[in-house]
Amino acid sequence: MFYVKWFFIIGFWSVVAGFFHYTLPQVDIVRVVNTYEERQELTDWTRIFWSTPDSQSTNINNRDVQFIQTVRANGRPMVYRNEDTGWHWPPYFKFDTANLYTEANDAVSTKENPRWFAVKHYGWRNEFFSSFPNAVSLWQVDGPEASKGIPWVNIVILTLFFGLVWGIWSRWRRFRISRIDPTLEELQDNWEAAEDAVQDQGGRFMRWVRGLGRGRR
Amino acid sequence: MLGALRLMAIGFAVLTVVYICLSLYSRAVRRAKLEAEWDRDQGPGERDGFVHQGLEEYDGSLRRKLILGVYVVPLCLVALIIYLTNFA
Repeated sequence: MFYVKWFFIIGFWSVVAGFFHYTLPQVDIVRVVNTYEERQELTDWTRIFWSTPDSQSTNINNRDVQFIQTVRANGRPMVYRNEDTGWHWPPYFKFDTANLYTEANDAVSTKENPRWFAVKHYGWRNEFFSSFPNAVSLWQVDGPEASKGIPWVNIVILTLFFGLVWGIWSRWRRFRISRIDPTLEELQDNWEAAEDAVQDQGGRFMRWVRGLGRGRR
Repeated sequence: MLGALRLMAIGFAVLTVVYICLSLYSRAVRRAKLEAEWDRDQGPGERDGFVHQGLEEYDGSLRRKLILGVYVVPLCLVALIIYLTNFA
């Protein structure tokens, strides 16, 4: 029971952590190498990693998606997709995909003469699922060690979320202590009392049965 | 644009639930405060009348209108995010 309980608790909080890690904005320092467009199939379950830029795109099987190829400050490649989120989840309300594509093309630089950019994005890069983080905005920074800024949005959202969880948890705890626990204890007491009574009765009944046997002899 | 309508419809429904709950709660808190005030002072007038009058004053108050912020704040937030994402 102990392990089952912790299995569910850890599982639940992993899902919550994964949700926030996917959805909340993060910033990378990158050098933009190239941009390209590629037609993507949207028919299998990895559809969840692509955006829904407008209402038609829920019906179509494939469409062209823009990508931004970059090299991060640590030398490893990172490819971002560039898609509108529109009025759909997650609520970035990004409509300026074409503008961002232009900025990204304008930001291209070579290894010998690098210009560094900060990319705000959400989502995960996963080679097996062909999922790409979605770039939201782009701005030039001094160099590969430049500051990414304080993530105020994440701080505010996570603080509000954990405040809400704490509020619900403490109220539930108080409710359980004042209402549910006493009721359960009462139930248990009644049950034990009933059990005792039955045992007494059983004892008397068995004595009577045994007495019968003796009587007949 | 259909997405915008959908978001507005769902947002309006959810926020209306929040608005109704919050206004009922706020009114109940005000009622409890008025009742406590009358119980302390034993007046003026009848208890029911005092509470009733106090609640009518509350219905016209700024505090009650502030609950409309339930609609206004998310709307402003969405407008701010749209500006920051696309135009800033």
